[in-house]
Amino acid sequence: MKGKSFAALALCLGAVLLLALPLLLKSTFVLDIFIRILLFAFIGTAWNLMGGYAKQLSLGHVAYFGLGAYTSTILQVDFDISPWIGMVAGGIVAALASLPIGWLCFRLRGPYFTIATIATAQVLMLVFLKFRDFAWGAEGTTIPNLGNAPLMMQFEAKSAYYYVALGLLALGLAITFLIERSFIGYYLVAIGENEDAAEAIGVDAPRMKRDIYMISAFLTALAGTFYIQYIYFIDPATAFNFSISIEAALVSIVGGIGTLWGPVIGTVLLETTSALLQSWLGSRIGGIQLTVYSLILMAVILWRPTGIMGFLSELHAKHLRAEPAPKPEAA
Amino acid sequence: MGEALVIRDLSKRFGGLRAVQEVSFSVRENETLALIGPNGAGKTTSFNLITGFFRPDTGSITAFGREIVGLRPHDICAHGLARTFQVAKPFGAMTVLANVMTGAFLRDKRIEVAREKAREAIEFVGLSAKEGRPARDLTTIDQRRLEMARALATEPRLLLLDEVMAGLNPAEIDQAVALVGKLSQRGLTIVIVEHVMRAIMAVARHIVVLDHGQKIAEGSPREIVENPQVIRAYLGSGYAHASASEAR
Amino acid sequence: MLETLAQAVINGLLIGGIYALVSIGVTLIFGVVKIVNFAQGEFVMIGMYLSFFLATQFAVDPVVSLVITMPVLFSVGVLIQHFLIRRVLGQNDMPQIFLTFALSLLLVNLALMLFSANYRTVHTWYSDEALHLGGLYIPLAKLFAFALAMVLSAALWAFLHTTDLGKAMRAAAQNREVAQLMGINPNRVFCVALGVALALAGAAGSLLMPFYPAYPLVGQVFVLMAFVAVVLGTLGNILGALVASLMMGVAESLGIQFIGADSGLIVVFLMLLLTLALRPSGLAGGRAR
Repeated sequence: MKGKSFAALALCLGAVLLLALPLLLKSTFVLDIFIRILLFAFIGTAWNLMGGYAKQLSLGHVAYFGLGAYTSTILQVDFDISPWIGMVAGGIVAALASLPIGWLCFRLRGPYFTIATIATAQVLMLVFLKFRDFAWGAEGTTIPNLGNAPLMMQFEAKSAYYYVALGLLALGLAITFLIERSFIGYYLVAIGENEDAAEAIGVDAPRMKRDIYMISAFLTALAGTFYIQYIYFIDPATAFNFSISIEAALVSIVGGIGTLWGPVIGTVLLETTSALLQSWLGSRIGGIQLTVYSLILMAVILWRPTGIMGFLSELHAKHLRAEPAPKPEAA
Repeated sequence: MGEALVIRDLSKRFGGLRAVQEVSFSVRENETLALIGPNGAGKTTSFNLITGFFRPDTGSITAFGREIVGLRPHDICAHGLARTFQVAKPFGAMTVLANVMTGAFLRDKRIEVAREKAREAIEFVGLSAKEGRPARDLTTIDQRRLEMARALATEPRLLLLDEVMAGLNPAEIDQAVALVGKLSQRGLTIVIVEHVMRAIMAVARHIVVLDHGQKIAEGSPREIVENPQVIRAYLGSGYAHASASEAR
Repeated sequence: MLETLAQAVINGLLIGGIYALVSIGVTLIFGVVKIVNFAQGEFVMIGMYLSFFLATQFAVDPVVSLVITMPVLFSVGVLIQHFLIRRVLGQNDMPQIFLTFALSLLLVNLALMLFSANYRTVHTWYSDEALHLGGLYIPLAKLFAFALAMVLSAALWAFLHTTDLGKAMRAAAQNREVAQLMGINPNRVFCVALGVALALAGAAGSLLMPFYPAYPLVGQVFVLMAFVAVVLGTLGNILGALVASLMMGVAESLGIQFIGADSGLIVVFLMLLLTLALRPSGLAGGRAR
């Protein structure tokens, strides 16, 4: 009980700090870093629902990021529909698209599932590269700048974007929290651990995987809309950039796969590292960011496959062994 | 009493291998039936066919009055048939309690209810002291117990146990036999695949013998022991193995 | 029309030989070590840069530089198996998939830092030469590459079927426990498998250099081809990978010829997705993994 109220207190303090942060920060460079952290923590959280809990290791989540981005942009540019509506529409398009993609990819297990997800995302990017009439082809388009138009998701103050991203992350974490604490969380972990055994005790694994993939795709698409609104530009190379798929998986794995806070911790570590590298070395040397990311990823895989969260809970368990206390239940 | 499970003309081949050939038998409600036979006789394949992991080429399987061929494993479990695996498949990262709760969710999605039911099943198999441990840290024997508890938590009417006693010492076999007896007393129908003859004699009222995918004998334990065809099938490694486990 | 078709098929077959070297490596590692090497394409890239370096600094012909790139990459493969892959064997999917994926990411970005994204080419006396057969045109560099790729594939086949070590590798691919019982040291066999697979990738790099530019991301084209070919040709099957690679090359070439210059990749992806859709359970071994 004591631990619970402490956690609640920490959460409240953290929330207040995060809400007040834009008021304290003067530098837009730093605020931009925070927006990136919130955004990628959110994408990681969406990935983690499927990749972390159910261990369906997708490297094609950018497909839904891109679908969300294009849906809202097309609705906005061609039909003058607010990106707030477009965002939800994009989520629905992505969720629907996850059905055939999932049907195809879930036939495979392990590494071949991963390869299939990469391929589907690449095919989608190629489709958007080719369809000039309907989505501006390879050149892409800029988003018309309307000045300060909150109803069109355009803000003069950068801090407004910060709050939108914070809201998205809060949504992702709330969904994860609810899932983790319900039978669905148990079912997902069971599927990830051993699909046959899960089926044998009555878990409809294909349906669970399909449903969690839809939720994960929906959330990822929201991030796509937000990102394009934030940078005012869309083209297939941006909206379907493979590195988004990579980062979604990476932040979760580094932070702790299948844990509520793993993607957040992973993003803070990776994005801070990347920002520091950039301020030390400038952006002159291409490839340095991903070089460092891949080294961190390898280190985590070789020494701590459970990520930072796993490491922390091991420390916690050692501490608990000294004084007998109730043990945590789920993984 | 009615028939819990009726299997008729069940066949399955894998490429050139005829794993199960026109096997028929039935299990009455609340009966304990043992499925025995030398290695490769088709026992585990039969389990996989009954529980929907493989689809039979021909034949029918009726459980509690309903045809279950073509149903998927989770549907068959929901219909009241639970199984264990020959090699235990625990959810390693989850605790013992969480493992069993996952089974309990089949009948009730509420966390508190599932936890209570899970604790009951865990106590039944004697794992209460270890309910907070990650399943991957359990010994092989405890992992089998866990698997039984997880199956029980789904509230089955028919339990299929695949070699739950392999590798146990005599004292542990006695415990396991008592456990199966207790399950039977609760009204469960049990189909058990086993090599340990002593255990089979103790728990089974009825025995079906498979060899090379075919049923070669069926009857009470006494009839089976005296059946010359069964003795022939077991001569060599099979019989030696069975008596060796008995002698231990 | 018929001539265009024949020309497209020839172009496809020639490049398909290179795809085969990469695919055979992927399928060999998968068969023996049971790991999908996401970084296989990057070793083609390393082979290319190595050949480029040897050609520009020491005037070694790229095709001749095989004798250097193959042993170098063999050693790299042994080291990678011994120090990296060995540590994740027997674990679940996540480390197994993401270790080689991280390696791929690392090598691409290291190359980007060291060599920049610029295209590097090597010009040899045969780079622009070609045989003319009737109306057909066979570039000499691609012909050399194809011929040597076939020789290397045949050599690998002979190695696997006639030598003790090769037989041990095939035994390990079929049944690891039995192989261990027979006294086969798995790590040694795995090291050789990685070494041979990477040597083939290095050879592919050297053979490509006279007619294909080197750049950090060059491996991705080849590894994607290899994944499709390996799935098409049944995982772990070397002859299947070879035949499928040639087919892939032809399919890609036909796509370029008849659909459009940049449609090669689309054709490949569509083939992959089609393969996945039509071959539901054969790929990852279905339920019983």
